[in-house]
Amino acid sequence: MHQDSSLDAALLRGMTRPRSVTRRDAFRLAGLSAAGLALTACGVQGKKAAPPQKDAVADYWASKKKNGTLRFANWTLYIDKEDGRSPSLEKFTADTGIKVTYTEAIQDTPSFFGKIQPLLASGTDIGYDVMVITNGIHLSKAIALGYLVPLDHSKLPNFAANAAEKVKNPTWDPNNTYTVPWTAGLTGIAYNPKYVDEVTSVNDLWNPKYKGKVGMMLDPQEVANFGMFAEGIDPDKSTEADWRKAAARLQKQRDDGLVRKYYENDYVDALARGDIWITMAWSGDIFQQVAEGKDIKFVIPQEGGTIWTDNLCIPKTAQNPLDALTYMDYVYQPKIATMLVEAINYITPVPSTKDLVLADAAKASGDDKKSLEQLANSPMIYPAEADMARLRSFRALTIAEEKVFESVFQPITQG
Amino acid sequence: MTETQADVEAVAPAASGPPPVPAIELDGVVKEYLAHGEVVQAVKGVTLTIAEGEFFSLLGPSGCGKTTTMRMIAGFEDPSRGTVRLHGQDVTDVPPNKRDVNMVFQSYALFPHMNVWENVAFGLRRKKVPDAEIKRRVGEMLEIVDLGGREKRRPREMSGGQQQRVALARALVNRPRALLLDEPLGALDLKLRQAMQIELKRIQREVGITFVYVTHDQSEALTMSDRIAVMNDGLVEQLASPREIYERPATAFVAGFIGTSNLISGTVDRVEDGCAVLRLGDDGRVLTEEGAHRAGDTIAVTVRPEKVMISTDEPAAGLSAVRGTVAEVVYLGLYNSYAVRLPGGTEVTVFQQNALDSTSTAERGDAVWLSWRPQHSYVIGS
Amino acid sequence: MKRFAPYLLILPGGLWLAIFLVVPMVFMASVSTQEGDVVNGFVQTFNLSIYGDVLSQYGTQFLRSAGYGLVATVVSIVLAYPMAYWIAFRGGSRKSTYLLLVLLPFFVSFVLRTVSWKFLLADNGLLLSPLKSLGLVPDDFHVLQTTVAVIGGLVYNYLPFMILPIYVALERVDPRVVEAAQDLYAARRQAFTKVVLPLSLPGVFAGVLMTFVPMTADYVNAEILGGPANTMIGNIIQSRFLVNNDYPSAAALSFALMAAMLIGIFAYARALGTENVLEAAAR
Repeated sequence: MHQDSSLDAALLRGMTRPRSVTRRDAFRLAGLSAAGLALTACGVQGKKAAPPQKDAVADYWASKKKNGTLRFANWTLYIDKEDGRSPSLEKFTADTGIKVTYTEAIQDTPSFFGKIQPLLASGTDIGYDVMVITNGIHLSKAIALGYLVPLDHSKLPNFAANAAEKVKNPTWDPNNTYTVPWTAGLTGIAYNPKYVDEVTSVNDLWNPKYKGKVGMMLDPQEVANFGMFAEGIDPDKSTEADWRKAAARLQKQRDDGLVRKYYENDYVDALARGDIWITMAWSGDIFQQVAEGKDIKFVIPQEGGTIWTDNLCIPKTAQNPLDALTYMDYVYQPKIATMLVEAINYITPVPSTKDLVLADAAKASGDDKKSLEQLANSPMIYPAEADMARLRSFRALTIAEEKVFESVFQPITQG
Repeated sequence: MTETQADVEAVAPAASGPPPVPAIELDGVVKEYLAHGEVVQAVKGVTLTIAEGEFFSLLGPSGCGKTTTMRMIAGFEDPSRGTVRLHGQDVTDVPPNKRDVNMVFQSYALFPHMNVWENVAFGLRRKKVPDAEIKRRVGEMLEIVDLGGREKRRPREMSGGQQQRVALARALVNRPRALLLDEPLGALDLKLRQAMQIELKRIQREVGITFVYVTHDQSEALTMSDRIAVMNDGLVEQLASPREIYERPATAFVAGFIGTSNLISGTVDRVEDGCAVLRLGDDGRVLTEEGAHRAGDTIAVTVRPEKVMISTDEPAAGLSAVRGTVAEVVYLGLYNSYAVRLPGGTEVTVFQQNALDSTSTAERGDAVWLSWRPQHSYVIGS
Repeated sequence: MKRFAPYLLILPGGLWLAIFLVVPMVFMASVSTQEGDVVNGFVQTFNLSIYGDVLSQYGTQFLRSAGYGLVATVVSIVLAYPMAYWIAFRGGSRKSTYLLLVLLPFFVSFVLRTVSWKFLLADNGLLLSPLKSLGLVPDDFHVLQTTVAVIGGLVYNYLPFMILPIYVALERVDPRVVEAAQDLYAARRQAFTKVVLPLSLPGVFAGVLMTFVPMTADYVNAEILGGPANTMIGNIIQSRFLVNNDYPSAAALSFALMAAMLIGIFAYARALGTENVLEAAAR
């Protein structure tokens, strides 16, 4: 039964839409058997890894050679594709001579992590040299358990030159020691203007006018961030006392009957169907709704919004680490990043692509032109500086903190 | 049909006063049903009367309509046409639970979730008989069927014969006006069946209830019944006492179905002293006293194998006498069975008792004479 | 060799059970009493107090799940019995067609079926939109994210598991036994209550086992059709495992659920054992 998650609402939408829809896992059904049993049966005897020494990084990379092959594990529908082939990957092969085996191996983080974790723990090749992991609990665990290869930044010149400042040096991975972003997304508020007046503040999620028509997210970190925004707290600097304040606010929202449901990916359908009028939302989902002509608005509330990142990283069992590192730098060329952003519709870590998208739009015509212009001008793909300033990340939590954090926020969403 | 009427009058013990009301009357009862879009007649018009206290059998091969006829008496089937009367009352449209007859089903249909006592008490409870009386009557009935002390058993823990007796008790305890039995002994082995036949007859005498007994076993019907209705293809072929049915079959079907019989047909040659003489071959003759025939009529007669004598000498005058060749001799202990081929090709079965000596009178291939008395040649209606 | 043949027959199934049921269960039992976290590892401390902790922490969801399971089971019986009865006694030559129709939803994925309910029951969806435009229900009326939706979804998804065993039990009732009851002065209704119903109770019993247990442990329906106040224990277990990676408490919850269910079922079997039910019905 668990395998049915591949047929969940997200996939239904995925089948009717061009790209990258199943980004965030809808129901984490698939993982229960795989992740749960794999981990427990083997007993997770993890060991916290010390931060890598500078020498260690150099030592690791000193002996590595280019092998001419790369095995890439990514989410479904998360790269440019034309007739089953990826122009950007073909260009990479043409430019570097590295052949790429591209696998859409990731449906949701927990189950993917569940599959690779026992292999990483025992030092067995997981079959991939580079993979995409969302920042959050699992990425933090992978770093803490020493499953990732520290990156040699001397071999990442394009990243240094072209990556947006906002995506560099994230709190969950200081100095990009292990990861560089693939794409990023925003958590803000989406609403249906037919029922809802213009939204500017996170407090609109607490507006009694919308009783029973408000959607919130099930993910504890997502919902906690919005509770903290409402209380004027910066999640990055929050303390346990702040969490409790935010939790009280969220609890009241629930007790007053404002919240229809704590959603995973399925909020999009609920919003489209009219079950909810106003909801926490992810930028990429809403961009696609708008691109399809739905009358839905997306805002980053004045109190703040959340930015999250999907990150490229190299597992410690990688057979072709140098090829992986080469690719990680390659995608930071503006031209390549443009090919990607035009396909994926999430925020690119390379801001200079905007001009290139506009240039493409000028060359194109008809619907293509329109959609490219829409892309370049969308605040959901290229957030304005003022918006960016209001964006916060998930708070990086230690294991001990995570336990407290979840005990504070989970009872709200799982009453 | 005229014979049927005569029989009823003969059996009804109308000594004085108005004749007693019959237990069961069927009047022109027809049952039709649809099968694959076609109307099929299971019962094509049965009229019969069963007297109070009678042991009455419906006898016939499977598919002859005997069970359907009984189910119409019980109320499980509605007649398409005709009337069913129980003790003079028209019950044609009365559901089975409101008819004062009870049934013993083929393979018993005991309630598997109830023990013996509960099975037997079921009908009395539905009739809201007081508990004390239920207790007494169930106890008595279980004694009658010899099941005292087995009240707590479940049907599946009992032998076939015991289940049979539970079924009987379950029906009889209600003191119905009539008991309907649908091949009740069919599932029992021969020994047990014979014992139960006697047992049933005893019980019927003791309780004095009308029994209507459906069976395809002619010896069973002959043994137990006061009267038998032989059914074939939805119709009653003959309704008479067992003796009459056996000795004097009214139709070729009855003759063939009951016991073994020989069918010989021929043309009437002449009539002498009320005796019709059929000529068979060069020097054969068949004599019958039955019916008024004229020379030139073609008729068929039957004769039972045990009535035929076999000899090598020419029989005396005044007997039927035909010549034939022995085709087969079978030694059967009590008697020998001969198959004798007549000149026309007809084969006649002859039983000869081994009373005097066990050696056979004739061997295969012998030329023999067959003979029998005129009163044993029965003319069969067409 | 011959003496061991019967044991050889159960060997494949027995091995299967041993490897895929017993071994993981032992692991899970062991995990449930460990302490630690996924990064630093879990250490066996025989921490039995976790059972008390999770039970008190998630008592509400436990009771709610049992309540939903109970209501959904009763509703299933009410819906399934007449259906099974009709197919068994009135289905005629089309019985297998009707049974196939009953099973038809099984040819569609469980999740897809449940998701389709969302579209059907949406606030402005196929069902409610006409009712609202006719003014039959208020504008803010909704079905999704209510207890009714969750229980409805449970019933819908597990109904065939109730229909099939009842059907099998009814099918095995000899029609002549029913006739015998009628012959013994039972009206149609009495023939049903005194004979057909008691004889079909083993089927109902099996149906209850086959639906109550998975319904109570279900989490998909609450996840897809439920709202904030419909979280079932299955949802808690799932998120303890996958979101929190808190394997001990997830394992402890699973075992507590299993134990509660086993106890409940044994109590049910004892109180309503088929033999006892039949005894009672005979009166």
